[in-house]
Formats: sequence, structure tokens, C-alpha cells
Amino acid sequence: MDLENVKAQMRKGVLEFCILSLLSKGDAYATDLLNKLKESELIVVEGTLYPLLTRQKNAGLLSYRWEESTQGPPRKYYALTEKGREVLKELQASWKGLIDSVASLVNQ
Amino acid sequence: MKKTLTINLANQVFHIDEDAFHRLREYLDRIEGHFADTNERSDIVSDIEMRISELFNQRITQQKQVIVIQDVEEIIRTMGDPAEIGGEEQAETKDYTRVSKTKRLYRDPDNRVLGGVCGGIGQYFKIDPLIVRIIFLVVFFGFGIGLLIYIILWIVVPEARTTAQKLEMRGDPVNASNIGNFVKDEFENVKRNFQGKKKSQG
Repeated sequence: MDLENVKAQMRKGVLEFCILSLLSKGDAYATDLLNKLKESELIVVEGTLYPLLTRQKNAGLLSYRWEESTQGPPRKYYALTEKGREVLKELQASWKGLIDSVASLVNQ
Repeated sequence: MKKTLTINLANQVFHIDEDAFHRLREYLDRIEGHFADTNERSDIVSDIEMRISELFNQRITQQKQVIVIQDVEEIIRTMGDPAEIGGEEQAETKDYTRVSKTKRLYRDPDNRVLGGVCGGIGQYFKIDPLIVRIIFLVVFFGFGIGLLIYIILWIVVPEARTTAQKLEMRGDPVNASNIGNFVKDEFENVKRNFQGKKKSQG
């Protein structure tokens, strides 16, 4: 068993869920998301975020718009789409179920 | 004293040392190469370039106006190696390679006398097509059925037309880097043939 791969797979699923959750609280540009994810140590290298954002955008979960910034070039702001909200709701439900079942299993 | 270059990174202008430029160029090329087979590449690369330009901006001051190699090294560490960035999709990529790694029998249009059947069989078993041809001829004259077998194979076995099919014929995995190598080989071949022709004419 490749432990690193298992960990990476685990983190990936959770990371996608976290990105959607963060965006449900308000639109954000990639660096905002990065800072929050790094604070909670969910992301090790920054580059990981961009393929995920692009894939979620291509899957229709996110949309983006350009917004002028006072400190530098325009920024790409991401927002949840209607579909993104539905997916997030489903993920939240399955996340809660997962925590409960794992907790009861591990603590048996 | 060092020579610097001026670059445009995500619509921002930066002065960058020559060695730092080459390091950055190489890094971005590797990222681009890593996502070469997906349609997400241009989005991902431009997002990453945008982030790097943001990080560059944080490192520019009135006293330090040039991006040096240490800046680039540190930023590459922050952004991560292409393998780490794409590391999340490892499992899927592995599956993909396994599926298309199957070896198949094709007729080889680049190595043919009649229909390329012997060339293809030679590729499949990794033996010289000449030996396959001799066996076919022996079977033809010795038993009289070689020609029939040949014609059936000619009809049944598909010709390797696309690059992916040619790679399958050779038993090479079909992925971006192999297709790249294959195209490069073909190009070299054409160039050699062309030069050969020019020489024989002149």
C-alpha cells in the first residue's frame, strides 16, 4: 500500500469540499482561498489549488469574474454556481455521515 | 554585474536576472508539459503565472528592483513541483496508462511489401519482418496455403494509421510524451530522407 497516495487521495476529496465551503461564505480570489487553506494546513504546496479550481470550474460548480484591485493587477474572483451549491449540500450530508460512521467504527 | 531580461508575466513587467529567467522558464515548461494532455492546461498555467507574478511583486522594492535566482527558487518551492501539483490525480493517470498500454496487431504501412501484414507481425513479436516474409513464402510454396492466410490477414488486420495506433502496434504506452517522441522521430526521418534526396540529386 502506498501510504502517501492514500493520504493524497484523502486530502484531495476533503480539499474539494473545503474549497466549495469557503466559496459558499462569499466570493474569493485564489490567494484568499490559498491563505485560508494554508492556515489550516490543508495545502502543502500552493500549486495544488489551481488544477482543482480549473476542474471545478469546468464541471460547472464555479464561475469567475475579473475584478479590479487597488494593489496591482485585476483579480480572478471565483463564485459558487447553482450547481456548485447543490453539490456542496450533498457533500455536506455525506461528510457528516462519513464522520459519524468513521467515529463509531474507530471507537468501537 | 549581471545581465537582466525584461519579461511579461501575467501582464506585469519584471526585470529578472538571466539565470533566474532560465530557471523560471524551465519550471513553467515542466508545468505545461505535465498538463499537456488535458484541455485545462492553459487555464492552470495562466493561474499559476498570475500567482507567481503576485509573489514577484511582493519581492520587489525600491532597493531591490530585480528578480534574482533565490526568489525564483523560493517561489518554486512554495508552488511545488509539477509532480506534486498533479500528484492528486496519480491514481487516475496510472489507470489511463494501463488501459491504453495493450499491444495490438496492426498492419504496418511504413514497412510493407504488399499490405504490411508481415511488417505488422514483425512489430508484434519484435522480430525482423524479413524472417516473417520468408516463413510466409516457405508456407506458400511448401503447403500452398500461405497466400490464403496472407490475404485473410490483409483483410482482417487493421492498418496502423494514427500515431496512437502505431504506438499500440509497437507496444509502447500511448501518452503525451511518447506521442511527442514519435512525432519527433517521424520528423527526423522526413528530414533525413529529404537531405538524402537532395544529395543524390546534386
